[in-house]
Amino acid sequence: MNGSHGKVDTLGLDYFGRMTASISHEIKNGLAIINENAGLLGDLVALTDKGRPLDPARLETIAENIRRRVQHADDIVRRLNQFAHSVSGPVTTVTLREIVESTVALAHRIAAMKGIAFTFSQDDTIKVETIPFILQNMVWICLKNIFQRHDSDTNLTLDFAFQEIETDVVIVMNFSHEIDTAATKAAISEEGKPIILFLKAQIYNDQTNRTIQLRMPKKFID
Amino acid sequence: MSIQVLLIDDDQEFLDVLSERLAIRGFDVTTAVSSRIALDRLKSESFDVILLDLQMPEMDGLQTLEKLTDMVPGQQIILLTAHATVAKGVQAMKLGAADVLEKPIDIRELVEKITKVATAKKPAPQSGKFFHQLFKKRTP
Repeated sequence: MNGSHGKVDTLGLDYFGRMTASISHEIKNGLAIINENAGLLGDLVALTDKGRPLDPARLETIAENIRRRVQHADDIVRRLNQFAHSVSGPVTTVTLREIVESTVALAHRIAAMKGIAFTFSQDDTIKVETIPFILQNMVWICLKNIFQRHDSDTNLTLDFAFQEIETDVVIVMNFSHEIDTAATKAAISEEGKPIILFLKAQIYNDQTNRTIQLRMPKKFID
Repeated sequence: MSIQVLLIDDDQEFLDVLSERLAIRGFDVTTAVSSRIALDRLKSESFDVILLDLQMPEMDGLQTLEKLTDMVPGQQIILLTAHATVAKGVQAMKLGAADVLEKPIDIRELVEKITKVATAKKPAPQSGKFFHQLFKKRTP
C-alpha cells in the first residue's frame, strides 16, 4: 500500500465508521418505537382487568405501526448490508445518480438532524466507471462539509444534477439558500485531497449560482 | 398530585406512544417535538421531570440540557439515548442530568427513575416554577 492509497483507505475507514454509527443509531431508534408500541399493546391488554374494553381498531393501528417500523428497520439493514459489501468492490460502471442516491440514503439521518433535504434533477442516466465506494466517500466528504457550514436554523434543500462534458462527468450540487461555496469548496478540497487525486477529480464552486461541482473522468484511470 | 413530566423527542410516534404509556401509569405528560418548543413551554410552565432525547435536530441533547439547566436551575432531567457512551454520559451528568437511560427503554426502570428523581430533590428556588409563581403573585 503506497502513501496515497493509504490515505484513501483511512478516509474510507472513517466514512465506514461514521455511516455504520449513524445507521445503528437509526436502527436503535426504530427498535425503541417498536418496543414502546409492543409495550402499549401489553398495557391495553392489562387495562382490560380494570374494566377498560379493548378497541380492535386501536389494536389494528398499533400493529400497523409496528409493521411499518419493522419494514423501515429492514430497509436500513438492507442498505447497511449493501454498503458493507461495496467496500471491497471492483471498478464498475454505475450511474452518477445511483452513487449519489445511495450516499444520501446512508446520510439521511445526519442530514435530517441538520434540516437538510435532497432533490434530484434530470439527467439520471449519466454513467461513470469508478470504484463506487470511493466515489461515495467523496460525495460524503462534500455533504459533510456542506452540513458543517449550514446554519441549522434554516432548512436547506440540496439539489443534485448530473452533466456529461466531453470525457468528463460532473455532479452539480445546487443550494436553495446562500452558503459560502468558496469556503466549503476549500474544506472539501483539503479533506478529500487523497480521493480527489485518486479519482483525478476536480472541485469547482460558483457563488453566484450557489453551486459546487465535482468533476471527474467518465473512465476510471488507475 | 401526579408527577408532571415533559417528554422531548423529535419522533412524534415515540412521543405519542411513550406519553400514553406513562399516562396509564399515572403521570401527567406533556410532549415537545423539538428543543425549541420545549424551551418555549418552559417559559410559562414547569415540570417535575424532563425526559430529553440526546440526539435532536437543530440543537443536540447536550446543548438543550445546558440551556434547560441554565433556564431552570435544579430542574430534574433524565436523558434518553439510542447509544449511551461513557463519555457522553459523564458529560451529561456534569451538565446536570439526573440520569441517562438507553433506548429501547424498560418502562419499569423509567417509571422508577422518574419517581425517584421527582421526589429526591426539589427544584432550586430560582427555578422556573418559582419565577412563574412569583410572576403570578405580582401580576394584578
